[in-house]
Formats: sequence, C-alpha cells, structure tokens
Amino acid sequence: MNEAVRDPGKPTNGPTNGPIIEIENLSISFFTRKGEIPAVMDFSCTVMPGEAMGIVGESGCGKSTVSLGIMRDLSNIGKIVGGRIKFQGKDMGELSEEELRAIRGNKIAMIYQEPMASLNPAMKIGQQLMEVPLIHDKVSKEEAHGRALEMVRAVRLPDPERMMRSYPHQLSGGQQQRIVIAMALLSKPALLLLDEPTTALDVTVEAGIVELVKGLGEKFGTSMIFVSHNLGLILETCDRITVMYSGEAVETGKIEDVFDRMRHPYTQGLFRSIPLPGADKNSRPLISIPGQLPLPHERPKGCNFGPRCHHFVEGVCNAAEIPMIPVDGHEGHFSRCVRFNEIDWEALPPGAKKVNEKVEPGAPVLKIQDLKKYYKVGGSEVFGSSEGRVVKANETISFTARESETVAIVGESGCGKSTLAKVLLGLETASSGTVSLANKEIQSTGIEKRGVDTVSSIQMVFQNPFDTLNPSHTVGSQIIRTLEKFKVGKNVAERRKRMLELLDLVKLPRAFETRKPRQLSGGQKQRIGVARAFAGDAKVVVADEPVSALDVSVQAAVTELLMDIQRKNKTTMLFISHDLSVVRYIADRVVVMYLGYIVEQGTTDQIFSPPYHPYTEALLSAIPIADTSVVKKHIVLEGDIPSAMNPPTGCPFQTRCGYKKLVPDNLCETKVPPVKNLGDGHMSLCWLSDDELAKMEPVIKFDKEHAAHEGVPGDAPHGEGPGFAGSPPQRPRGKKASAEADAVGEGVEENDAVLKARRHEVRDETSETGVSKPKDTTRRH
Amino acid sequence: MQTEYINAFDIVIGVLWRFWPVWVGLILVMGTSFTYKKRLGLYGQLFDSGVGIAGVFICLFWLFTAIFASTISPFDPLAQVSVMKDTLPGAIEPTSKLVYYFGGDKLARDVFSRMVYGSQIVLIIAPAATGFALMVGITLGLPAGYYGGKIDTLLSFLANLVLAFPVILLFYLLVTPGIMDTPIPYAMAGLFFLFPIIFFSVLFWTRYKNRPDRLYILLGITLIVGGWIYTGLVFDKDPLHIVHIDPNQLNIFVAVVFASSPGVFRIVRGLTMDIKTRDYVAAAQTRGESPWYIMLWEILPNARGPLIVDACLRIGYTTILLGTLGYFGLGLAPESPDWGTAIKDASRLLRSFIHPALPPTIALMSFVLGLNLLADSLREQSMKD
Repeated sequence: MNEAVRDPGKPTNGPTNGPIIEIENLSISFFTRKGEIPAVMDFSCTVMPGEAMGIVGESGCGKSTVSLGIMRDLSNIGKIVGGRIKFQGKDMGELSEEELRAIRGNKIAMIYQEPMASLNPAMKIGQQLMEVPLIHDKVSKEEAHGRALEMVRAVRLPDPERMMRSYPHQLSGGQQQRIVIAMALLSKPALLLLDEPTTALDVTVEAGIVELVKGLGEKFGTSMIFVSHNLGLILETCDRITVMYSGEAVETGKIEDVFDRMRHPYTQGLFRSIPLPGADKNSRPLISIPGQLPLPHERPKGCNFGPRCHHFVEGVCNAAEIPMIPVDGHEGHFSRCVRFNEIDWEALPPGAKKVNEKVEPGAPVLKIQDLKKYYKVGGSEVFGSSEGRVVKANETISFTARESETVAIVGESGCGKSTLAKVLLGLETASSGTVSLANKEIQSTGIEKRGVDTVSSIQMVFQNPFDTLNPSHTVGSQIIRTLEKFKVGKNVAERRKRMLELLDLVKLPRAFETRKPRQLSGGQKQRIGVARAFAGDAKVVVADEPVSALDVSVQAAVTELLMDIQRKNKTTMLFISHDLSVVRYIADRVVVMYLGYIVEQGTTDQIFSPPYHPYTEALLSAIPIADTSVVKKHIVLEGDIPSAMNPPTGCPFQTRCGYKKLVPDNLCETKVPPVKNLGDGHMSLCWLSDDELAKMEPVIKFDKEHAAHEGVPGDAPHGEGPGFAGSPPQRPRGKKASAEADAVGEGVEENDAVLKARRHEVRDETSETGVSKPKDTTRRH
Repeated sequence: MQTEYINAFDIVIGVLWRFWPVWVGLILVMGTSFTYKKRLGLYGQLFDSGVGIAGVFICLFWLFTAIFASTISPFDPLAQVSVMKDTLPGAIEPTSKLVYYFGGDKLARDVFSRMVYGSQIVLIIAPAATGFALMVGITLGLPAGYYGGKIDTLLSFLANLVLAFPVILLFYLLVTPGIMDTPIPYAMAGLFFLFPIIFFSVLFWTRYKNRPDRLYILLGITLIVGGWIYTGLVFDKDPLHIVHIDPNQLNIFVAVVFASSPGVFRIVRGLTMDIKTRDYVAAAQTRGESPWYIMLWEILPNARGPLIVDACLRIGYTTILLGTLGYFGLGLAPESPDWGTAIKDASRLLRSFIHPALPPTIALMSFVLGLNLLADSLREQSMKD
C-alpha cells in the first residue's frame, strides 16, 4: 500500500530525532452481534517530535477509534486487524501488557471530551495530580506535590494552592479540563492524544484551552494528536491534518495545503458546508454534501465517498480500492482520490443553489418589553431552609422580532437564553414585563391556559436530535399527534395526508411514516423536529441550537431547510446559538446575552463590526474559523462565567472585561450600565465612552499578504498522476465561495478583486443551470 | 403390608415421563422462538446468550407445569393414603399401583403432586400481585416524579413509611383473625384494585380525547371488564360466578401488593424524574399536552425497560415472600399445597425424613433463579447496541 507520510520539517526537541509515532496501514474492527464491523481501514500517519497532527472527520468516521487504538484501549470487542503502530521506533503490537502499561499515561497521555468523567470525584485535585509522579517516577511525596503545583501554575489556573485542595466538582468545566491537561502533562508525555477536548466547553472557555494547548508543543516538546470535528480548532492548534471519512483517511498534509489546496472532494465539501466569513444566506448559501455517511457494513466498492461525490465517474472511482496518492508539488500531501488532477476545484457542484432573494421583514410579530424572570431556589419543601435565594435568569430583556425575520440570540451557557425560550413558549411565566405575540400578551399565561392558536403559532425546534423525538412512537404518529393537538384536519385521514405533506416539506421520503426514531440519523430526526414545529403554521419558531449537535455536512442541509421553510411561510425565527459563524450566516438581527442581560443588540452587520460590546468582541475572537486567510484579534477572557446564583455587582461582564480600566470612577463594579443607543437600533450595555468605542478595531480581518501569496499557486506539473485527463487545474483554491469579495475589513488588491468578481459571475452561471435534488439525505435505507 | 419401591433410575425416568406435556410445550415454544429470534425483538435476543436461554427455559418449565398440573400429577394433592405416610421416594401406592415419586409426607400425601400443584398457586398469585403492585406504583410514581414538590414529598413519605415497616410484622397484622374480621383487608383490596381501572381509563382518555369513536369503545371495555373483575374480587359478587378469590388468598394478595408497591413507586419516580428532562417531553409540553398524557404516553413507554427487568425480579421476590408466608402459616389454608406451606410441614420432621422438604425447596429456588436469570439477561441484552 501507500507509503507512510514522512515530514522531517520540524525542528525536534525530543530525545530522538525519529518520529514519535508511526502508524502504518492500521485497520481496526469491532466484532459485534452483526459480525465484523471495520471501524478504521488502512490508516497511516506519522507524528514528529513537537508536531501537532489534527484528525478531523464527522461522527462515525473512526477518528476516536484511531486514538483509542494507539492507546490499545479498545473495548473487548475491538481488535486491531492489520497494520502496525510504532511508538518511538518500537512496535506496540509486540509489547507485553506490562510494557504497554508503562507507556500509557506516562509516554502517551490522553485527554477526553468530558473533563468530569476523567477526574475522580471522590479525590482532591492535588492527590490526583500527585499520583502521576508518584506512580510513574516513584518520587517522594514532597517532590510530587511540588511538581503538581508547578503544573497547575503552568496551565494558568488561578490560586493553585486552593485548586490543589479542592474536589473536582468545586471547579468549573474549563478549570477541570485544565486540570486534566495538567495531569496528562505531569508525566512529561512524548505524545498527547486529545479527543475533542473542548467540545463540552463554552466558546470563550474553549479559546483559553486552545491557547494553552497551542503552546504545549513549544514549551514541553510534546507531540500531539488532536481529534476534533471542528476544522477551525485544527487550524488554530495543528501543523498537519488528516481528514477521515468512513473509516479511512481521505486526505492528509500540511494545514496550508489541505485548507487552501485541498485535493479530495470530501474535504472540499466539508469546507463548503461550514459558514465561513463571507458566506451569506442570500447571495452565497452553503452547499451541503448530499447523501449520508454509509453504514460501516454498507460501504461501497472503491471510493467510499463515491455515492455522495459529484465528481464520481463510473468505472474509475468504483473500480478498485483506492490508495493514498501523493499530490505532486506539495510535500507530504496525500489524497485518496483518483481524479484529483482532473477536477476543477473552483467549480461549484451542479446542484448548488442560485442566489436567494432577500426577504424584507414585515410587521413586528413578537415584542418583548422589560421581561424579567426570577427563580427562587430554596431548600427542600418540607424541612426547607428558612430563606430561598433568587436566581435572576432574565433581567430586563427587550427586543422585537418582525415577520420573516431571523433574530439570533447568542450567548454561552447560563446566559438565560433557554429561560427566555421557556417563557416565550409558556413553560414558565414571566416575573414581570410583557411579551406580546401578534398583539396578544402571553407572558403570564402558562402553556395549559393558552389557546390552540397561541400554542400552535409559537413552536420550538430542539437542540439534541437524539432527544427531540420520543423513541417509543413512530415518526408518523408523533406528527399526527401534533396535528391533532393543533386541530389541523377533521379526521385521521386528513391529518395523515397533512403529515405526509409535512414529510415532503422537510424532504424526507413518505416511507418514514412508519419508522421509529432510532432508525433515523441525527439530521433526519432534526428534520422531523422541524416538520413538527411547522405543523400548525407557526408564526414564531424558536430554534434552540438546532444544528449544533449535527455533523458539519448535515448542519448545512438542515440550516438551509429551516431557512427555506421560513422564507416560504414568512415565519419569524428566534435562532438561539453560541456559534457566531452560524449566526452571522443566518441572522438578520442579533441579540447578545450574558448572565441574563442583553449586552448588545443590532443588525448582523452592526454586531459583527466595531464598535463592539467588550463581550461580543471576546466572543467573536473566540470562534475558531477554518480559513487560513483570516487574521483574528486575540482576546482570551480570564476566568469563567460567574454563577447566576451569585452574579457580580454592577455590569454583569465586569469580572472578565478587559476594558474595565478605561472606565472612570469604578462605575463598572458599582452600577449596571445604561443601554446606550449607538444609532439605528444598535444597543449596547456598556459604560465605555464613545471615544473608546470608536477606537475599536475589527476582530476578523483578511490577511492581504496571505491572499496575495495564495493567489497563483505554484502547483504540480500536470499531465501525470493517476487518471489524469483534461486541462491543468487553474484555480485550486476551491474552499471559499469567494469570501474576500465582501471582506469585512480592508479592500483587496485591485486586480485580485477584478479576478474574483469575474470568477463569481462564472459561478453564478454554472449554479443556475443546476437542478437541486430534493432527496438529499435519504439514501441510507 | 410391605410397601414396594422402584429404584432411583426408574424414579428419574418416571418423573421425566410425567412431565411430558411440559416437554412438548417447551419444545414447541422454544423451537419457534429460536427459529424466529431475529424477528422477535428483545425477547428474541434472549436466545443469544446461555443465561437467557436458561432463564426462559426455567420460567417456561414452571409455567407449563402450572398449566398442565392435573395431567402431570398422578394424585390429588390433598388426598391422603394412610399406608403411604412418610414413605420414601419411589414407593408404589398399593391400590392404583401408581408411584409416589418423591415419597409421601407426614399426612401421607404425594409430595410430587403437591409440588406440581404448588406451582399453580405461586404462578397465579406472584405475577398477579406483582402486576397490581406495578399498577399502583406506576400510577403514584409518575405524578410524584413529574410534578415533584408537595405531591412528591407526600407520596414519597408514605412510601418510606411502608418500606420502613417490618414486612413480616405487617403480614402478621394483616392476616391475624382479628384484623381479618374487620373490613380493613377488603377496604385495602377495594383501593388497590381500583388502580388498574383508573390507570387504563386515564390512559385511553388522554390519548383519544379528541377521537370519540375510539375513546368510547376503549373506555367501555375498560370499565366493563374492570368493573366485572372488581366486583368479583372485592365483593365476591361476580354475576357470572367466574371470578372468585378465597378470603385467605385475597388477604395475601393485598398484603403482597401493599408491601411491594412502594418499591415500584420509587423506581418509577426516579425514571420519571430522569425522562422528564428530555427534549421530547418539552416538545409535548410546548404543543400543549396535558400532564397525564405526557406521563402515560411520553414518559412511561420509555421507562419500560427497567420496569420489565424489575417486574421479573419482583415476581421472584414475591415467590419467596409467598414461601415465607406459607412457612409462617400465614394466609393460605393449612392443607394448601403451595411450596411455602409444604416446606413448613416438612421442616417439623426434618431430622427423620428429609425427602418431603427437598422438592418444594428446589422448586422454589429454581423458579426464582430462572426469573433472576431472565431479568439479568433482559438487562444485558437491552443495554447492548
């Protein structure tokens, strides 16, 4: 098979100059009731000392299995069926159980997704950290304590002495993950495996962890394998990247090569389906990858991505299993595609949609005035403690949403966005203030007291696709029940007809009527959730992070679906999210919340350009963007989000704000700032003076130099390589739908801009001829 | 006259032969189940593991034994043949020339027949009592878990009260003649037997409120069947004289339901508290479903896994409980062939004759073991992918 990738590039500061880990043609299978299920096939990669390798892919592609395989921590049904893993030159397959134990946790350390699950809740942090040197290095207790303390300092935790004395539950999620990283580093591992280390954390906290992880390679000479589904994170942390699809590595190479000159259609599809800056729901919609990840035992012959690829050629792509093919001219860049030299990497797929017309918002539908929601938290009911405390979940929330408008509500966990949704839907009643839906006040009517009209006109799409449908009932019966509740249709037959129409609406086959939710994929379940929300022609749909739990390629499809239906029905959508990239793409107006307050609101353009509220600025800076030409201002917030039980005095954001020193009289700590109108409905809750606000620079800029250097790539000599035909590829930078053209920041060099404009026209022509295929995600069954 | 005996080998062969309807039934049921196990869902998956097969085998064995008891047992379990008093296993009864396979007890009754008939009592009372306990536990556990707050506090307090009360003492109280003369047992039975009717009525009402065609049929069936059984069990005034229960058995029934429903209550309450945080419950709330619809149609179906496992284990406990009650001579008539009473009778003469004690003990043990294996295997299979 193919050669393992070798990259001697980086200077090494480890003891050996050879690679830390070499994986050669690794294959891992799980043996279950249904027989052998190959999870990883023919996976090769090499990590040099001090180097960070990113493994990216969607759920079920085998990326976590690779990392578990390296640790030899496959559960009793998993087995390595082929290939070798060499760690520092030694074949791990030949090591005894004892030798493996000495390596695990000592030379190879692993960091998992859930920090709380990695820490022992019954032991103090200090003890747990000290165990590492005590067991692996057999040092004295004092020495171990010293090392532990030093490491807690090194991961930049405040008050290390106190940290050492606390139990895991007394720490926040971000702090716990830092402790886990500290524990992993204590044994000075040669290789650190990080399996989605920040997925469970909030964006601003994640930014802190990413910054910490980034420095590790330089500081400790540790090599890293960083497993993630988030391309932006990989860009920020890694030197090289391997893209996995359906158990295989499909492309591997240096970050710049893969991000800017990708040579596999799947990688391109991934990039096209994430909302990078520059994508726009009206002029440049996302392009989702059609179809679904094949089930492990239903993989096609030849290229696994074949059935979903629009470059697929019968007899070429499915002729034989495809090896990793080196890309000429790019060092260490391999792709598992036989046709990459023939593909025009700039062309949009034939099914891509044309430009949508911009929808003008109509009259206000939902008005929220000074809404407050307080919770009383007390002891138990009978033997209750005397006084309850008050949690202020929502504090003076005011905003308006108009017909066919998308209002995004942005904030991290605990900011009160879910409480707001509950009040809107009537699951909770407001403490004070008003909520009017089509001129009807609903803030104090609980859901039981609401009329059918009100209930059906405000509906919700939930976050977790695996939770949104009741696993015990069929899909059809769940939708019919909703119709029954909304008094749609006179009898069962009419409702069933309407249900089938709804299935058509969300582009699912009618046969799904009799399916149980467990037979559906995440994206399909979310579509059913959308169908249910729109069953009674809802006027307002609250979408609570509807795509955040989905895979990237499916996310785009569901997002587009939501917007299509919204456009058709003129629905008002409240889009709750923590992900500003999606928000920028989908929203017309944005409301930023922090600790129950609205700290900033305005149109999407107002929010994403200066002047910012300091919190918005930090949020913007924290989102990992998978675009090499983007330069971000770096703002890492200190500390964690304060608890809503014990909010800070004055401005809610003052504990983490970097601008506090610019405000005189200690106002931030004493008084809640006034809502400042920055013009055109752009409101900000901040004490900063207009002068200071004016000085703010945009957080996200496009790097001119990078773009210029990237403009004409010195590409491979043409006419060679497998399956080559046709003219040489001209514009290999196919990832972006020409992001720079509406660059947030500075203009681009002129001739570059002209080139881009022309390119854009060409693209529109191609896309208009294409007919969109409705049965995108249904191919699995 | 000297009693004749057959040898040990003949005893084994004879016993196996007597069970012939059970073997036929087992082969039929297990054979079809095994052939179509792929299509039988969770029940079919039981046949993937040895533990599961063993569990199903033992439980089915006793089920068929109870069904075909009259064919299997050679003698009337209450008939006394005075010459056979305390005879050893394999003794031949002189008049009919049939064999006392497991010997005779101190009242000269056939131990084998008594063991076979004992299974009938256990297999009627234990599952039925568990069923009623489930009904009571579910109907009270759902609102306690769903609403929380005061309702939960009150119901949990009552459940704890019952759980904290020594079970044996409770049974002594419930079956003492003094209490039996009062209307207390009947009042309790009246209360407990009301739960299934309420349960099913609410179940159908919440689901088909807006579809009268279905609602009236289902409600009608529930009320007629429920009312019929209710009058038969509680008032013993069944107009058709089919449903009837001895006052003794009713007492035991009530006592068992009373003692085991708090356990079910706690499980259901815990499951409800967990499941009510799911998005599909929120989705039901946001479309304006009534709380009882959510409890019965959204939450309960998803709590069924742990409940089925618990029901299996609970039938086992109830079987042991019945044995204990029989051993203390509580509740059932003294000549009743149930396993507990049989063990008690045999224990008095344990030093001289051990053979009358062994069959009911082994029967009790194997049945409970079978149920536990079944529960174990169900739990394991339902957790697998």
